[in-house]
Amino acid sequence: MAKRAKLSKTNLNERLFDIFNYTLMILVIVITLYPFLNVLALSLNESTDTVRGGIYIWPREFTLDNYAVILQYDTLITGFTNSVLRTVIGTVLGVFVCSMIAYTLSRKDFQARKFVSTVIVLTMFFSGGLIPTYMLIRDLGLINSFAVYILPGLVSAWNIIIIRSFMDGLPFALQESAKIDGANDFTIYWKIILPICKPVLATIALFIAVSQWNAWFDTYIYNSTNPALTTLQYELMKILQNTTTSTSGGIDSVRGQGLELMKRVSPESVRMAITIVTVVPILLVYPFLQRYFVKGMTLGAVK
Amino acid sequence: MEVSPEKAHTAVPVKKKKSFWKTALDQKLLYLMSIPFVIWVFVFNYLPVWGWTMAFQNFRPGRAFTEQEWVGLTHFINLFQDDYFYLVLRNTVAMSVMLLVAGFTIPIIFAVLLNEVRHSLFKRSVQTISYLPHFVSWVVVAGIVTKMLSTDGGIVNDILMALNIVDSPVQFMSKEKWFWWIVTFSDVWKEMGWNSIIFLAAMAGIDPQLYEAAKVDGAGRWRRIWHITLPGIRPTMMVILILSIGGMISIGFERQLLLGNSLVKEYSDVLELYALNYGIGLGRYSYGTAIGIFNSIVSIVLLLLANGIFKRFTKTSVM
Amino acid sequence: MKHWFGKLLGIFLVLSLMVALAACGGDEDSSKQEEKDSDSMASDDDSLEPITFTMFSADTNPSWDGMNSAVGQAIQEATGVTLEADFAIGDPKERIALMAAGGEYPDFILPKGDGDLLVDAGAMLDLTDLIEEHAPNIKAMYGDYLKRMRWSEDDHSIYFLATAGVDEEYWSPGTGFWLQHAVVEELGYPEINTVEDFENAIRTYYEKHPEIDGQPTIPLTLNADDWRMLISVTNPAVFATGGSDDGEWVVDFETQEATLHYRRPEEREYFRWLNHLNAEGLLDPEAFVQQYDQYVAKISSGRVLGLIDADWHIADAQTALREDGKYERMYGVYPATLTKDYKFATFQSSGYLAGWGIGISVNNPDPVRAIKFLDWMASDEAQILHNWGVEGEHYTIEDGKRVISPEEMEKRLSDTEYNKRTGIEVFRAYGPNWGDGVLDPSGQTYTINTPDQIKENYTEKEKEVLANYGVEMWKDLYPSADEFPVKPWGAAWQINWESDSDIALKFQRAQDTMYRRIPEAILAKPEDFDKVYDTFMDDLDKIGVEKMEADFNELLQAKIRLWND
Repeated sequence: MAKRAKLSKTNLNERLFDIFNYTLMILVIVITLYPFLNVLALSLNESTDTVRGGIYIWPREFTLDNYAVILQYDTLITGFTNSVLRTVIGTVLGVFVCSMIAYTLSRKDFQARKFVSTVIVLTMFFSGGLIPTYMLIRDLGLINSFAVYILPGLVSAWNIIIIRSFMDGLPFALQESAKIDGANDFTIYWKIILPICKPVLATIALFIAVSQWNAWFDTYIYNSTNPALTTLQYELMKILQNTTTSTSGGIDSVRGQGLELMKRVSPESVRMAITIVTVVPILLVYPFLQRYFVKGMTLGAVK
Repeated sequence: MEVSPEKAHTAVPVKKKKSFWKTALDQKLLYLMSIPFVIWVFVFNYLPVWGWTMAFQNFRPGRAFTEQEWVGLTHFINLFQDDYFYLVLRNTVAMSVMLLVAGFTIPIIFAVLLNEVRHSLFKRSVQTISYLPHFVSWVVVAGIVTKMLSTDGGIVNDILMALNIVDSPVQFMSKEKWFWWIVTFSDVWKEMGWNSIIFLAAMAGIDPQLYEAAKVDGAGRWRRIWHITLPGIRPTMMVILILSIGGMISIGFERQLLLGNSLVKEYSDVLELYALNYGIGLGRYSYGTAIGIFNSIVSIVLLLLANGIFKRFTKTSVM
Repeated sequence: MKHWFGKLLGIFLVLSLMVALAACGGDEDSSKQEEKDSDSMASDDDSLEPITFTMFSADTNPSWDGMNSAVGQAIQEATGVTLEADFAIGDPKERIALMAAGGEYPDFILPKGDGDLLVDAGAMLDLTDLIEEHAPNIKAMYGDYLKRMRWSEDDHSIYFLATAGVDEEYWSPGTGFWLQHAVVEELGYPEINTVEDFENAIRTYYEKHPEIDGQPTIPLTLNADDWRMLISVTNPAVFATGGSDDGEWVVDFETQEATLHYRRPEEREYFRWLNHLNAEGLLDPEAFVQQYDQYVAKISSGRVLGLIDADWHIADAQTALREDGKYERMYGVYPATLTKDYKFATFQSSGYLAGWGIGISVNNPDPVRAIKFLDWMASDEAQILHNWGVEGEHYTIEDGKRVISPEEMEKRLSDTEYNKRTGIEVFRAYGPNWGDGVLDPSGQTYTINTPDQIKENYTEKEKEVLANYGVEMWKDLYPSADEFPVKPWGAAWQINWESDSDIALKFQRAQDTMYRRIPEAILAKPEDFDKVYDTFMDDLDKIGVEKMEADFNELLQAKIRLWND
């Protein structure tokens, strides 16, 4: 009897918890969906009507013109191809390199562990600045090259640390037994560690993919004179270029040419359409990666 | 192929251990897997640090290194003598503490709760939607926040008025003391879902058998969260926390610039905006570099402190 | 040496990555290199041999579509030149500093205010002799203005050819105090000469109509989102007290001395007036908090009676009102001043603003060809091409006059992509060009803008209001240019200081202070206004504003001497 009472109490608690939890999650959906819907609605609204304000989640005067304005730029195709390429190559290489380094750092017996991790971690907190970095890239002959999208950021301290912290949680016995079976260090990493690290690798892949996809500054600084190397984000930044980016000191560039300047600022609706165009492709990546960390990896199955 | 191990040997601090060379030979693959990348970061991250010499010059781009005018510590002295610097430092520290607390705990709570959702499709939908705002730029988010808090038909004031909590609309955006909260709130809204991804991934690595066993033992939801989920993601939590503490001083300026206005300027200006306005924006590359160096030193000290403390008390560390 | 070292390291890195990849059986392509083909170095006289010039511009140009458009093709045909443009995103200083640091310059550069970095780095060619030898059109167009393009008193080289329209005429006031047509109509078209008149107009109308279309009326709002505050809040203080636009400066005509404009006592009175409006509840409480799009939305709703701003800030809102048919809620612009003693000086001439333009870099493979190209850009043929388009395609010639058909004109006005498709008005910015109102040898204007075109664009309501004031155009309400002497220094905002100089720093501090204190003063209780303003003045003193002004005056004097010797 006592046991049953206890059980039903637990059930009641569980039910209450679920109700509370689902309500909360629905609230989260409502709140976090809003900005995106707002952008979507604005992008589908007639652009002169948009200045009147008051658009929330539904366009008032529906139109696809804002998208038409963007899509007529034929440089976008080259840009799109390059963006996809850099995202795919950058992500695959990045995940591989970072996880490999992370693996060596997760090996408590590795002699150079402390040295390697210190050297790498510190890079997160300093930078030589734009000018020296530019000069370095130039001296390496990476200006006007596709490689500049991939190489400089390949070894990311943050990603390595995250992967390592996941690996630290794995039972060491796994490796030991492999070792006894005669596997070398690389095989252990490749055949045993990588497969069970899928959740964290999926996460890191997402992070790298998003930052590769969103990057435009490297194109602007290093490759802007070569149209064949342009990226989608850079092409869109050129359209997007708006006056809010000018902080103080920018004012003099406005003076004496206000009307000219206004012509150059794309209407808000076009800017929102650009946001949608840039975001949607990368959003499509998510569901593919998501299954790796929502479903829950069965670590036990590997054992 | 031969190059790397040789380099490695010179790079590793040579401790006189008995079987050092033998171990090194055993670990040759580990060396091969890591040392090339140490050189890699040395080139891409450490070499440009020669640029720090700019802080001791009056750097003009276009002049050769030898033609630059050397000024010693002038820029640092100017920096530390500037009252405005202390004001922006205060704002930076205050906001980064708030952002750290909120931006760290709320995604964890959210991830834990989301993990408890059993309906798989719903779970995935919530997760997908919650990270959408990350892709919406700060310009847009700041615009939405300002409109929500407007006195002229802003939804927050409309609700407060309808509930008779206030009799006239509140000027949220012009109150200096609320600015930090507005920034924190907006940031949580925008980044909660995105920041929770990493914790969800960590949870995915927890052995499901642990939960099964706990259920058999009759452990309730809270106890399972407390005894399995949270300890399971603890290494990730600690690592993120340490790294966030290290990055505390570099909180960017976009949020503050876009949400701020001239009435709250004394609470919204932050270090990186100061560096931009008084450094590169004025062509004072040297001053900008001096601020950068200050930034790096503070960050590294914070990181080492956090790392040391956590290592001591939780046995977790990033180095 | 460094170069060599870097190359080696680069090779090493790529190799080690490839080895690492091969070792683990990965098959990803690590990189692909593409080399830019180098341009030919030939330079024959009047050669039309195809040549490509690279160009960097500090201003973006969303209508840019390379040489693909009809006008682009025509340029290529006439000159053989292909322009490959690269535009700044964000602060152009960033890119220019990188160019200077790396010594890699595009063939043409338009750096706007950051030319000093390039000149300092020895990146720019002196164009004086090139112009003398190869550029008759340029000489004819600029005439005496060429003197204004000399770099400095110590260095008389011409590095940049100004790209502002030469001898431009102005037909719109650009800025002033705006009132809804409904307001002046209801009040029987009162004279709006002073800020008091302006205040009375909005007050009287507001009292009668506290709501418009069921929403609360806003008597006056300001546009104070970031730097826009300078246009809508601080610049009008200059205009209302008789100054013309010299940026943050105002220059005394007699003594030719500059001060930061808000330090003048009369401007304190202007801000006191804004403070008074706020205390009276006539100023939108959100004036300093709202963002630009909120400001535009409010105006578009038709419930803001008065504005103080530049025309281009409210153009979108006016268009929206027009499309809604709310013609009486659109705005007329009036030259209100603080008292009757001041004249609204927005039409005061700056002479020719020769500060910013296009230069040829030392890396240009063929400077002679480059200057000839710029000279061609200044020719009548090119000027008409830039503004009117290609004959037979975009305009026709009837009785010796260029005529744009009504259909073409309609396209030109309504199609936002017209410029991009045709190239019209796209290339004008990259060479010397004539301003509005200048006549070509046939007696037609080079540009297509005329006063008649502006008048045609007025609404019936607007014409009615203007008629009631007894004028034809808004500019007729303003004192005309010939009532003022020409400013011998041009515009003070175009006087650039060295980027890392002491003035630059103090100026930035003064700006930061101003952004804080002026809104504070305007929103203060009226009895506290002076206290806040005094603090503001003290803050400026502490920054060392006197020293800064003295330094600036030296630059100003140097410019006056340089331009007028």
